[in-house]
Amino acid sequence: MTDDAPKRHGPRLTAYARAGIGWIAVAIVACVLVPLAAHLSATNTDVANAYAAPSFAHWFGTDGLGRDELARLLVGGRITLSVGAIAAAVAMVIGTVYGALSGYYGGWPDAVMMRVVDVFLSVPTLFLLLFLAAMFHGSLVALMLVIGGTAWLGPARLVRGEVLSIKERLYVEAARSLGADDARIIFLHVVPNAAGTIITTTTFMVASAMLSETALSFLGIGVRAPTPSWGNLLSSAQSDLFAGAWWLIAPPGLAILATVCAFNFVGDWLREGRDIETPA
Amino acid sequence: MTQFVVRRLLAAIPTLAGVALLAFVLIHIAPGGPVAALVGDRATPVQIAQVTHSLGLDKPLYVQFFAWLSALAHGDLGFSYVRQAPVGRLIAERLPQTLLLMGVALLVSVAIAIPLGVLQASRRRTRFDRIASLAVFVAWSMPTFWFGTLLIALFAVTLGWFPVGGLQTIDTTAFDWPSRIAHLVLPATTLAIVQIAGWSRYVRGSMIEQLREDWARTAVAKGLAPGPVLFKHVLRNALIPFITLLGNSIPGLFGGAVITESIFAYPGMGQLFWQAALNRDYATLLGMTVITGVLVIAGNLLADILYGVVDPRVRYD
Repeated sequence: MTDDAPKRHGPRLTAYARAGIGWIAVAIVACVLVPLAAHLSATNTDVANAYAAPSFAHWFGTDGLGRDELARLLVGGRITLSVGAIAAAVAMVIGTVYGALSGYYGGWPDAVMMRVVDVFLSVPTLFLLLFLAAMFHGSLVALMLVIGGTAWLGPARLVRGEVLSIKERLYVEAARSLGADDARIIFLHVVPNAAGTIITTTTFMVASAMLSETALSFLGIGVRAPTPSWGNLLSSAQSDLFAGAWWLIAPPGLAILATVCAFNFVGDWLREGRDIETPA
Repeated sequence: MTQFVVRRLLAAIPTLAGVALLAFVLIHIAPGGPVAALVGDRATPVQIAQVTHSLGLDKPLYVQFFAWLSALAHGDLGFSYVRQAPVGRLIAERLPQTLLLMGVALLVSVAIAIPLGVLQASRRRTRFDRIASLAVFVAWSMPTFWFGTLLIALFAVTLGWFPVGGLQTIDTTAFDWPSRIAHLVLPATTLAIVQIAGWSRYVRGSMIEQLREDWARTAVAKGLAPGPVLFKHVLRNALIPFITLLGNSIPGLFGGAVITESIFAYPGMGQLFWQAALNRDYATLLGMTVITGVLVIAGNLLADILYGVVDPRVRYD
């Protein structure tokens, strides 16, 4: 039973991972708490102050309606981060259940289920995303479900691969010989032992879901205005650029870049020492 | 070999049928369905019924599906009522532009990613490797359309080196190579950036793995110069799995083309798909999904076959 003994050689926290965790913590605290504490409003318009360059009153300047860019950035971050987190959770729940069932049962159900994944992967994910987002454009919840609902294919494959080897372990056989049913074995014995893969993949999924949100918002079918999100801010900053408002383009772009990078750093660190592919 | 190719071709058929079914089902579960998009919000129930009947949409779904499939088999991709044009023609007009864009992006990606990955692997844990790794991470996390916007702001608006967008300079109806190439530089770079990041990481990892192999150490130990070992032996082995990666990159390139083409107002498949999704142009969406599916499956198939050609260890039985 030595191969089932817990391994305690978790990778040391690298500088990148530390920076990533630090940035994510700062971003969450800033986006959730600062707007509340500082009474910043992301929706108060002040047309007299439209397109004001950065100043002490408005650190990051104002947009075309005189709204404070910093407030919009922080509140928008709240939206983008929660879309990223919830969409990733949706993708992981679907992917884990699908992958675990497929890998555990094997045989023809597995062949059929994986063929279905092949079919979905033969259509560019962004096509599916665009189609569904255009159909169900409107609520934030729909957006999270659409992003999550198109992102589960990679995780399903990874979890299936992991389950294929876990189901051959002795503790699974032990559970079966004690009379545990399939549901109990899958969800209490097999899936928890794939936790490493699942957690690592989730981290990458948050990063890619945030990029999906920004892409859809850029294409006009993501988060609906006037609700700010990093994708929305970036999309409007592009047209503001032609109005001469150069200060609006960098903050949301850098915020997305830094946060996505941070999640990828953490994911990469978690992956170290494991043989997990990067989900595309 | 022939048997292998035939078997793979046969195995691709159910996948292709699945793509057709998936596209068909998605479009028919969409709220409102194809008719609502055609007749508008103010249509009377009688009008809706008439249009539904004239398009054959009141028949059972499976009848519609097989009618559509058989038309498809005869090369008829349907008719876009939104654009008043056959879908086949719409796609035929735009597919070459997108394939050109994707091809250039692919070439740029390979030309940068492979040397970068090789250099990083051969100088592992040096300052160069660290800086390059960080740059690759940043590129990997880049929101594509922001990167495209920055490229436009810098190279098109400020420096004026390249055009802001479009296919070629207007007023020239003839095919104008220099203008076409100038119009491709920024979009292709935008489309390539994510690919470069993913692939150079892959090449680096794969090279390091191969360098650890006994035969690589033997080659170095018996006195072969590092250059030939690196490029002739190690790279060749490291690149074999890369073929699969190339085949797998097609859906991502089509997806990336949607964003790239919309930034640069480049009239290709991505732009067509985006506009079709916004206008609920179902016929175009269906046709494009099927055509893209065919290209993706063909790409994977080709990669599988090439893999077998390059790697003698693959057996065909």
